[in-house]
Amino acid sequence: MIYKNCLKNAFLLLCVVFLAACEEPYTPEVLEGQNNFLVVSGFINSNGPTTIRLSRTQNLSESGGPVMEQGATVQVEEENGIKFPLLETNPGTYSSNFLPLISSKRYRLVIKTAGKDYASDYVEVKQTPSIDNVTWKAESDGLQIFVSTHDVQNKTRYYRWEYEETWEYSAFYYSGLEYVNGEMRNRAPENSIYLCWRNFKSSNINLGNTVKLSQDVVSNFPLIKVPSNSDKIDRKYSILVKQYAQSKESYEYYEALKKNTESIGTLFDPLPTQLTGNIHSVSAPSEPVIGFINISSVTEKRIFVSRSELPLNWGSPRMFCTLDTVLLGEESTHFNGGYNIPIHELLTETNVLIGYASASRPCGDCRVYGVNVKPDFWQ
Amino acid sequence: MTQLYRIAFLLSVMMLFGAATSSAQTAGEPLLSLHLKEASFEDFVREIESKSDYRFFYEPATVDSLKISVEVTQKSLSSILAQVLPEAKLSFAITPQGYVMITQGKEFMANLPEGFFNREAVPTQGRPAARPSSGAQPYVAGEKDKKKATSEAKLYVIGVQRENASGRANLAGHLRDAKSGEAIIGASVYIQSPLLATTSDQYGYFSLTLPIGQHDLLIRGIGIKNSKRRIALYSDGKLDIEVEEDVRSLKEVLVEAEKDRNVAGMQMGMERLDMRAIKQVPTAFGETDILRVVLTLPGVKSVGEGSTGMNVRGGSTDQNLILFNDATVYNPSHLFGFFSAFNPDIIKTVELHKSNIPARYGGRLSSVLEVVTRDGNKKKFSGSGGLGLLTSRLTLEGPIAKDKTSFMVAGRSTYSDWLLKKLPQESFKKSSASFYDVNAQINHEFDSKNTLYVSGYLSKDRFRLGSDTLYSFANHNASVKWKHIFHNQLYSVVTAAYSQYGYDVNSENNPVNASHMSFGMNQANLQADFNYFLNSKHTIDFGASSILYNVKPGSLQPVGSESLIMPDVLQRERALESALYVSDQIDISPRFSVYVGLRYSMFNALGPREVYAYAPNVPKSESTILDTLSYGSGKSFAKYHGPEYRVSARFGLTEHSSVKMSYNRMRQYIHMLSNTATMSPTDTWKLSDANIRPQVGDQIALGYYQNFRNNTVEFSVEGYYKKMKDFLDYRNGATIILNHHIETEVANAEGKAYGVEVMLKKLTGKLNGWVSYTYSRTLVRLNNPQVSELINQGKWYPSNFDKPHDVTLISNYRFSQRFSTSLNFTYSTGRPITLPIAKYYDGNVARIYYSDRNQYRVPDYYRVDFAMNIEGNHKVKKLAHSSWTLAVYNLTGRKNPYSVYFRSENGQIKGYKLSIFGQPIPTITYNFRF
Repeated sequence: MIYKNCLKNAFLLLCVVFLAACEEPYTPEVLEGQNNFLVVSGFINSNGPTTIRLSRTQNLSESGGPVMEQGATVQVEEENGIKFPLLETNPGTYSSNFLPLISSKRYRLVIKTAGKDYASDYVEVKQTPSIDNVTWKAESDGLQIFVSTHDVQNKTRYYRWEYEETWEYSAFYYSGLEYVNGEMRNRAPENSIYLCWRNFKSSNINLGNTVKLSQDVVSNFPLIKVPSNSDKIDRKYSILVKQYAQSKESYEYYEALKKNTESIGTLFDPLPTQLTGNIHSVSAPSEPVIGFINISSVTEKRIFVSRSELPLNWGSPRMFCTLDTVLLGEESTHFNGGYNIPIHELLTETNVLIGYASASRPCGDCRVYGVNVKPDFWQ
Repeated sequence: MTQLYRIAFLLSVMMLFGAATSSAQTAGEPLLSLHLKEASFEDFVREIESKSDYRFFYEPATVDSLKISVEVTQKSLSSILAQVLPEAKLSFAITPQGYVMITQGKEFMANLPEGFFNREAVPTQGRPAARPSSGAQPYVAGEKDKKKATSEAKLYVIGVQRENASGRANLAGHLRDAKSGEAIIGASVYIQSPLLATTSDQYGYFSLTLPIGQHDLLIRGIGIKNSKRRIALYSDGKLDIEVEEDVRSLKEVLVEAEKDRNVAGMQMGMERLDMRAIKQVPTAFGETDILRVVLTLPGVKSVGEGSTGMNVRGGSTDQNLILFNDATVYNPSHLFGFFSAFNPDIIKTVELHKSNIPARYGGRLSSVLEVVTRDGNKKKFSGSGGLGLLTSRLTLEGPIAKDKTSFMVAGRSTYSDWLLKKLPQESFKKSSASFYDVNAQINHEFDSKNTLYVSGYLSKDRFRLGSDTLYSFANHNASVKWKHIFHNQLYSVVTAAYSQYGYDVNSENNPVNASHMSFGMNQANLQADFNYFLNSKHTIDFGASSILYNVKPGSLQPVGSESLIMPDVLQRERALESALYVSDQIDISPRFSVYVGLRYSMFNALGPREVYAYAPNVPKSESTILDTLSYGSGKSFAKYHGPEYRVSARFGLTEHSSVKMSYNRMRQYIHMLSNTATMSPTDTWKLSDANIRPQVGDQIALGYYQNFRNNTVEFSVEGYYKKMKDFLDYRNGATIILNHHIETEVANAEGKAYGVEVMLKKLTGKLNGWVSYTYSRTLVRLNNPQVSELINQGKWYPSNFDKPHDVTLISNYRFSQRFSTSLNFTYSTGRPITLPIAKYYDGNVARIYYSDRNQYRVPDYYRVDFAMNIEGNHKVKKLAHSSWTLAVYNLTGRKNPYSVYFRSENGQIKGYKLSIFGQPIPTITYNFRF
């Protein structure tokens, strides 16, 4: 609730007022639990490919990526009707193409792992209204992105958003040369490592509802704020917003998940709760299964924001970069291994080549942070 | 000191025989001329002794700091002494032999009362009893003509003397402070042989049935000088007693405060704090805070540092009845609980009942906290106040009609707004936080039998955080009490009180979502209480009360024409809670006494209301609503009633030790809704209705009490076991605000609590304070699948405020009258917390999975505070008395975890510990009194 958040701010504010250190990292003794609960993530898409990922929980102290659940049988079942199997396309990832779901019917997800059966509750199919627009505003401390939508039928009411940010950026130096197979040559335009693109998928949970409004209208929901000193807005920034209609139960699940993982701990926040999803173990009903299956379509919208549209004093702090001189004959020792990038030729006043200007890789090669392939959608 | 008394006693015996028939010597005194400047008392005496035949007797220690300047010609010694001594709080007496007795505190009686050896002949009316050499009028107390007994030496004759009278007679009256006329609460009034004792009540009233004859009536209490009154009781009569405040002297003071209440009193699980004890405890912001001190008592805990919500013996924060001059206070805190809502300058006493709650009180499960303000000075106009880093306060009081009517007004406000504006960060500059509270009261004594007390209280908080949302909440209280004395043994108090509490939240940043949310409630109560001192064996209390509740559980309204917010108003709730009670305290023998009480409470939820009916035997949810029932205005649609038993017994083992036990049942019809761990301003209150049952709690307690060292050291051990039925716990992920069917979010939980509290207390001497240890558990269970989903598989789990071990030390050391220090130490087990036990990936994001509810604990809590109190000089005549308080809160700077939590940041799970006051916080406060 907004009220709770405000109270938390109040609290931090008081901390500052009374000059006492407030928040500090804390790691309790390693907690060992029974840590192989099934985790189901993904959703059933009513007008596109469906992807479900199965994994297992891990101890907090364990490092490494998720432990995927392989070799399971996963299918979407219509209530008293047809079954659509999902195929394991990657370890733990089960997908199908477009599923012909009927919006008046209810469906569930059924999972069979080694020796155990799981099934979700039957879920109704929600239609996601299209996004009216995604807008932005240059606020004093950064670029605020808003999303607006509405449902003329007043039926959606609960919304969840994900987004993918993509931004164009450049290396500090423009490298016009490349050193390939012991040979220095002019860099071909298609091999340019000056301009790159990077993207980032949202990791937080963005929820909005209109239940307290007389119409199902989301007006300028603040989705994300890009700080004014972020490198995301050094050249050009783009955001793709994905909108998912939620059932009330699914919304509440995500809300609880958000509370649990994004804002808990001050006394003004609600106590963390054990999440109860809509997936259950058929054989052992008390076994926790993590995840909530929702069925909906997805709508998307993308916008671009150029540097020139934003205040002049914004920008990220520049990297500290200098050029080295590499004399002829030293090329192989200097440029092999790719730690240094040739930038341009060094000529005498009489245009005699005596060597090359060189920069460290982060200063000359934008691919350190992203890819130099322009995305298809880039304008 | 004792030696002085011994000498004085010997002398007085000597004098008495020599002076049996003579009267006070005022006529024929030789006249003296003196010219002294800043002379020591010894020089002063030497001067007089050289010029006359007088001989002086005094304790050198009482006069060693005295400087005398006197310029008189041809004056009698008594007039010179009368001019010189009162400033130093000394008394004198001149015997017929020319011996001059200088005493401190007690007056020396140079003559026996008239008729001492000739009792038969004493007429009973209008006849002076013996007087010392001061100039007061002779006085005989009588039934009609009630006056104030101020002298220890006089013999007060009470009632009409008859020939050969025998049997018993009743003596009643008020105990008052001689300076301000304030009632003195909780002081013992007793005679020693046979031992017959009573305690003054909250009006300072006492009633004592004694054998006819002469007695030394002894008065002992906290903050007053021990004193005695000589009485000759012949028939029922009244005697108002004025006693002096115990001003700490430069030398030793003997305070024998309620010496043996611990052992001899009926009460158990009761703590009474007076402002003196409270003021010695350092607090975070240098401001005396009664709730903060209450939290140091055994059995009282809070969830965290910035919270004034109390958990008494395992009860939740809404189970405490907080009465401020008999009006209920719903939110006793300011500024998120960092300050308590009571202005310390006007408080007289704070009483906390944890078990054996008198039948007079009801309506809450765990405790009664009674805060009583002073009456206001009846003798002269005075004021007091303080300047602190965050708040300032001012109190003015005085007589409107001397000794009859007094008033007191007090105000307190903060300037933290100013502080916020000084902060560098932009968002804080837009923030504001302020509070104030105001008290006003008038007491009027119509005659000796009728007194009226009118009191009003207002507290208000406002805060805006960032620039968006403005919060405000306010308490309004008013009470009128009329005390009527029918006769010596029976008096009544009729109380009408009104309390209102509400909050508002305004959000106007985004025109489309601009809204105003509010909650409000009020209650009007009418109560009649009777105290009947039947005889020395029975004290009977009875009465009736009725409370009418009105709750506006919440409303959300759009603000501005652009707002799309749909108005949402929850139905109003009304209910009537009534109770009848009677109790008898029976002193079967001096060793054995019993308290038996019964309270019968009734609750009616009243229409107009629309009430959902749910399918039986399944958890209530929106999908199990069967029907909506509509009830008309004033129609009762849910009725609950039941007896509340209050029983206790005391058995004296020896003169200095006793065993007590008690059993009581409480019923509570109003519940606080909050799914945060502390009290927060957005908590709302909910009345019981067809879907929410009242809470019922039973507690049994057993205690052992022993006093050591002449009753100056008290030791007590109390154990208790408590069961709570139907208190509200929340279902996972409950939504509380603006919920039209709150019964679907809560569940009636069972609770049990048990523990042992050990306390050692020394309230007198240079070193005083207390140390206590508490072991306590409090557990909750939600195991009925028909009520809600099971929490922790239906097993008992620790409640949010379950802190098994707790050690508290409060100590004060007085170096001199002007300089004292205070050192406090607190330790407690960390509170329970639900910890993450596993992580998993949802897409590319790491998330956490939580343990069972309250399965783990945050690290233990400990804190040391230190304070110094420096009083100004003690010149009698100066503009204002002042004192400085320097305090350091959390001296060791321990970063006590207020809470521990985990956040997913950039896909990683990180644990954080939040501590407030994580370093020493020094404060300084200036207090004044004029």
